Amino acid sequence: PVCILVDSRCISSGVELVASLRQRHAATVHVCSLDGSYFIVSNRMAVERHSQSDIAVTQNRKRLAERVSALQGLFERVCLIVEKDRIKPGDVSRPFQRTRYYDSTVTALVRAGVRLLWSDGTEESAGLLAGLARLEQRKGQGITVPLEVKGQHKQQALQLYLGLPSVNYVHALSLSHNFRTIAQLINSSIEAIEKGGCMSRSRAEEIYRFLRYSCDSFLLQTSKAAGKTS
Amino acid sequence: MESYLEGGGVKIFFENELVVADFHLPNKSCILYVSECDVVAGNSYKRRLVRYRNSSSSFHELVLVENTRLSEQYFSAVQKFVVFDLGLTLLPVSGQTEASQLITQMVHGDGRENPFRRRSSSRLLDPLVLALVQQVPGVGRVKALALLQHFSSIQQLCNAAPAKLEPVVGQSAAQQIHSFFHKHTAGS
Repeated sequence: PVCILVDSRCISSGVELVASLRQRHAATVHVCSLDGSYFIVSNRMAVERHSQSDIAVTQNRKRLAERVSALQGLFERVCLIVEKDRIKPGDVSRPFQRTRYYDSTVTALVRAGVRLLWSDGTEESAGLLAGLARLEQRKGQGITVPLEVKGQHKQQALQLYLGLPSVNYVHALSLSHNFRTIAQLINSSIEAIEKGGCMSRSRAEEIYRFLRYSCDSFLLQTSKAAGKTS
Repeated sequence: MESYLEGGGVKIFFENELVVADFHLPNKSCILYVSECDVVAGNSYKRRLVRYRNSSSSFHELVLVENTRLSEQYFSAVQKFVVFDLGLTLLPVSGQTEASQLITQMVHGDGRENPFRRRSSSRLLDPLVLALVQQVPGVGRVKALALLQHFSSIQQLCNAAPAKLEPVVGQSAAQQIHSFFHKHTAGS
C-alpha cells in the first residue's frame, strides 16, 4: 500500500477524492497541516490539484507562481493535476475555450520543470495521485516513516524542524523519528542529516550550514528596535 | 497546420532528417504529435513513442496528444503510458488548430521571463534563525533576541550549558531551554 499526506484544506473540496484514494486505491491517507493545500506522495514529490479555469484566469497567475515556487523550494519534483471544470447539474456544458494566455501559462509551467497531468474529474485525479505514489515507491522514494507523532515534546520538535529552511513535512517527520534528541541533529554531519532526513545532499548541506549560521547582531538589533515600535 | 503556424509568426523549416520527432523548437525542445487516428488505431503509436524517448538527445521531449470525442476513452491509458511509463511531458490538444497555437506560444514564450522559474533565493537567514529559536517553549521574541546576542548560532545555543544560559534568561528558562534540546524525541 502507498502512503499519501493531504493538507487539511484539501478535505472540504476533496472528500470524494480522499474516499476514492482509500477505498479504490487502498492508499493510506494521512491528513495533516501543511503550508498550502497540496498532497505529498513521496519524500520528494508534491502534487497540487487545479481546475482548468484556475489555470486560465489571468488574476490567478501571481498566486500560482508563488505556490509553485514555494513548492519547488521544498520538493525536488512538483506536479500539477489539471482537472476539467465540474459542470453543475442543470448547467449547460460550455466547452473550455483555450486562450493564448492559457497556452502561455501551460508552456511556462512545463519550461519551469513542473510536471503536468490531465484529469477528467475527481475519480481520475485519485487514480493519478495513487499512480504517482506507486511510481515513486518503485523508485525507492515512497513515504515509509511513521506518520504519527506522539507526545508533546515530539510534536514540538516536529514544529521546530518545519522551521528549518527547505524542509518539507516528510523530511521533518523523518528527522523527528530518526534523531534521538534535537541536539543530536544539530551536531550531526551532513551525511547523517541526509540519511536521517531522507533528503537530498544539497538540502542536508543547507540545514547543516543554517544550524551553524552566525546571526549578525546589527540585524538583530534593528529587528529588536522594530519589535519595540510595533 | 503549417499555415496556422506561419500565421502566428513562426518560421518553419522542413527537414527530412526529423525521423523521430515531428518538430524541433528553438528552445531545445522537440515535439511528437499523436493524432486521434493514431490513438484509435491501436498500439503502433506506442512504438513510435518509445523510439522517440530512446532517441533522446539533450532535448526536452514533449508529446502532443489529440484528445477528441473520438479518442477520449483512450486518453487516460495514453497519459499513463507517456507520463508514468516513459517519463515524457504530455499536452492534450483538440486538434491541429490548438496544437499550432500552443506551439506558437512555445516559440514566442521562450524569450520572456518565466514567472514559474524558481529564483535562487538569497533570503536573509537571520529572521529564520530568530523564528526557529522562538519555537523553543517558553522563549518569545525578547528572550530569543537576547539569546542570539550571546550565542550567535543555533548550534552554539544548543550546546550551551544551563549555567551559561542562566545570566541571559534566568534560571528556570535556562533549564527549560537546555532540556528541550537534549530530551529524547525518538522511540516511543
